[in-house]
Parts: sequence; C-alpha cells; structure tokens
Amino acid sequence: MIWSILLAAVLGGICYLDRTAAFQVMLHRPLVVASIMGAVFGDLAAGAQVGAVLELLYLVRLPVGASIPPDDTGAAVFGGAAAAVASSSIGLDGGSFTSILLLSVPCAELGKLADRFVRRANGRIARLTLESVERGDSEAVRHGLLAGLCLFAASGVALSLLFAGLGVSLSGVLLPRFGPESREQLSALLPAIPLLGAASVFSCSRTEKTAPVFYLTMTAVFAATFLFRWAG
Amino acid sequence: MGGGVRPVLRKIWLRQFLLQGCWNYEGMQNVGFAYCMLPALREQYKGRPEELIRALKRHLEFFNTHPAMAGVVLGASVRLEERVAEGEADPRAIGTFKVGLMGSLGAIGDSYFWGALKPMAAAAGAILSLVHPLLGIAALLLLYNVSHLAIRYRGFVAGTEGEERAARFLRGEGLARKTEDRKLVAAILGGAYAGVIGSRTALMFGGIATAAAVLVVAALLVHLFSTFFRKAVSPSELLLFLLVVGTLTLW
Repeated sequence: MIWSILLAAVLGGICYLDRTAAFQVMLHRPLVVASIMGAVFGDLAAGAQVGAVLELLYLVRLPVGASIPPDDTGAAVFGGAAAAVASSSIGLDGGSFTSILLLSVPCAELGKLADRFVRRANGRIARLTLESVERGDSEAVRHGLLAGLCLFAASGVALSLLFAGLGVSLSGVLLPRFGPESREQLSALLPAIPLLGAASVFSCSRTEKTAPVFYLTMTAVFAATFLFRWAG
Repeated sequence: MGGGVRPVLRKIWLRQFLLQGCWNYEGMQNVGFAYCMLPALREQYKGRPEELIRALKRHLEFFNTHPAMAGVVLGASVRLEERVAEGEADPRAIGTFKVGLMGSLGAIGDSYFWGALKPMAAAAGAILSLVHPLLGIAALLLLYNVSHLAIRYRGFVAGTEGEERAARFLRGEGLARKTEDRKLVAAILGGAYAGVIGSRTALMFGGIATAAAVLVVAALLVHLFSTFFRKAVSPSELLLFLLVVGTLTLW
C-alpha cells in the first residue's frame, strides 16, 4: 500500500502541474485523475465512477484572473483512491459513494488554500528574478520559471500524498465502522450530488436559447431511459 | 512558422505551455512570458547585452491573459521586438500592444475555453464514462484538445504575421459563434446527464406516476442549484450543506 500511495503522489504531482503551471491539456480533470488513482489502487472503474461525478461539480467556478476555484484535482485524488479501496473491501455501495463525494469537499478547499500559498511564494520568486535581471543576469528568467514550476510540482506531490493517504484511510478504516444500515441511509442523498454537477454545466452554458434545450433534453432522455429499462 | 527563425519560433511555441509556470499575484504570467520570449530576444540582441536586459525587463512587466490565447500576443511580440531591435519601432509600442490585447483575449478565451468548451468536453466525458471509463477520458481529452491546440497554433502563427493580423485573428476565428455552439452542445449533454441520473433514481421506485414526480423534483433541484450558483454560492458550500444533512440523518 505504501508503494501505491507513493506512486499516486508522483502521478498526482504530474496531473497537478497540468492544472496551472504547465500544458493545460486537461490531465488534471477529475475524471482523468480519479481514474488514474483508481488504477493505482486496483480498480480503475470505481475511480472513474467517482471522477465522473466530480468532473462536473466545480465547473461553475471559473479560474478567471486571480480567482482560484476549489481544487477538484485534489478532490479526485482523494475520491479515486477512496473508491478503489472501498470497492475491494466493503464494496462501493450508494452510502460509501455518497460519503466519498461529500468528504472530498474539505480536500478541494484545502487544495485551494495550498494553491494560493504557492502563488504568493511565486511572487517572491518573480521579484528576485526581476532584481537579478536588473543586475544583468538574463539566465535568472529561466531559473525563476524553473523555481516556480518546482514549487507547483512539490505542492502537487505533497497534496496528492496527503489526499491519497486520507482516501485510503477513509475507506480502509472509517467507512467499515459504519454498518450497512447507516450507509443505506446516507445513500438517500446520492442523486442530489450528480444533479448538482448537471446544474453546474447548466449554469456555465446558460443562455436564453440553451435553457429550454437543457430541460427538454433532460425530459426526453429521462423518459427514454426510464421506459426502456422499465419495460425491459 | 517559416523563414530563417523557424527553430526559435518552434522553441517559443513550445515554451508557451509553461507560460504560467511562475504565476504570481503581482505580475501574474510575467516571468512565463519573459521565459517564452528569451530565445527570440537572445537572437535579436546578440552581442548587445544591455539591450537584451532592457528587453527582458519590458517583458517582466505585468501580463495576464487566457493561457491558450497567449500565443497570439507572443507571436506578435516577437515580430515587434524584431522591429525594435532594428530601430524601426519604439520599445514602448510593445507594452501598449500587450496591454491592449491581453484583456480582450483573456475575456474571449475565458468565455470560450472555460465557459463553453470545458463544460462541453466534461459533460461528454462524464456521460461516456458510464459506458466505459477510458471512452469517457478519451472523449474529454480529444474534444478539448483538438480545439485548444489548434487555436494555440493558429494564434501564434497569426501573431508572427504582425500585430494587425493578430488583432484580425480574433474576428477571423469566429470564437463568439463557436462559444454559442459549444454552450448549446454543453446544455444538451448536461440535460442528457441529468436525465440519466433522474431515470436511475426513478427506477428505484418504479411506476409511471412516481417517475413523473421524480423528474419534476430533479428539474426543480437543478433549477434551485443553478439559482444558488447565480447568487455566488459555491458548489463546496452546497456539498457541505449536504454533508451536514447526511451527518444529521445518521445521528
């Protein structure tokens, strides 16, 4: 398990770099990250299930200007690890699924704080870079960028280590203490969480034209899938 | 990206992926921008170290735009620096050009990439991952990156063709229309996702009348959540509320 957590930290660190510092090719999205974590801890499909829900939850918070959205990458590291471990121990039932999704929120908020800290520290690096350039050292720009990248990477690895460890502990220690009845009660909240994700997509895409399209599609797909499964 | 400066331009194009490597609250993308420009500046000010330092300081000033749109400004800045190095343009024109363009590029980029393309790709990924996780991941990455990488490339090339061509790039790409289209697709996919979730819940109860009630409740919940979002309530706050409700239920 220790090796899995260390591997999760390294892979998580790479995904974290994609979030702000480098590439931005969506390797940091919850669906990707939670699936990777699921694979590392032995169940890719369980990780992907959690990742698919987390993928949509925070879309409405845009990383515009200096605003930092909640850290959905961190939530996915936690959720993917927890889901895979739960699936191989108590089973990924509705109650476990709901608890994992809801308990990923503190991770998302903690990751946001860490991101803010790194960006503040980068301010010092940027000032030192400017001072060195003023003294005639053009290489300082490369060193400054490298220092910033290392800081983002170190923060990503540390957060991934923490969140993967927390995810494993949740599913390995905490969730089994709750009986099936308690988990069954908690699963009543489950449908509300993906609907929050759908509302997030709706809010991002909302215009006069798209609002009726959203509700019409929702009704049509609901009716089609319900009747297909009900009749079948 | 033709001509004798091709290797330098290729270097700059690749370096733009590290534009936010030292993102900070004071200068935002300033260190990243200067890092991207470094290969071109070294070539243009070869044997003129003092001018190289002055040029680097110009690019260490505040800069912030959408990272995928920065290629336009980078390309045009390389072109402008060439003219400054040859004594054909005033160095202050570079700062004016960057400040003039970064705001509008940022607004257009945020609206297209974060407000339309990402929700569309994310919703497609979430739906297809119900079929197979890898299919969902592939859909998410492909839908986003085909457009993302193409705009990065075309924007950079337009920039290297001069500042007027860079400014025309915004109109030529038709991003306003594309934003509307992607938003429409995102709304369809988001609606489909909500429909699937609603029908799964309805199947737990069975019966047409109950199903209709579940659909109405699901639609009302989506509407309620989106109203909260409009009033600047964070998804984290809503999820924490659900966590409290869940804890109270268990208690």
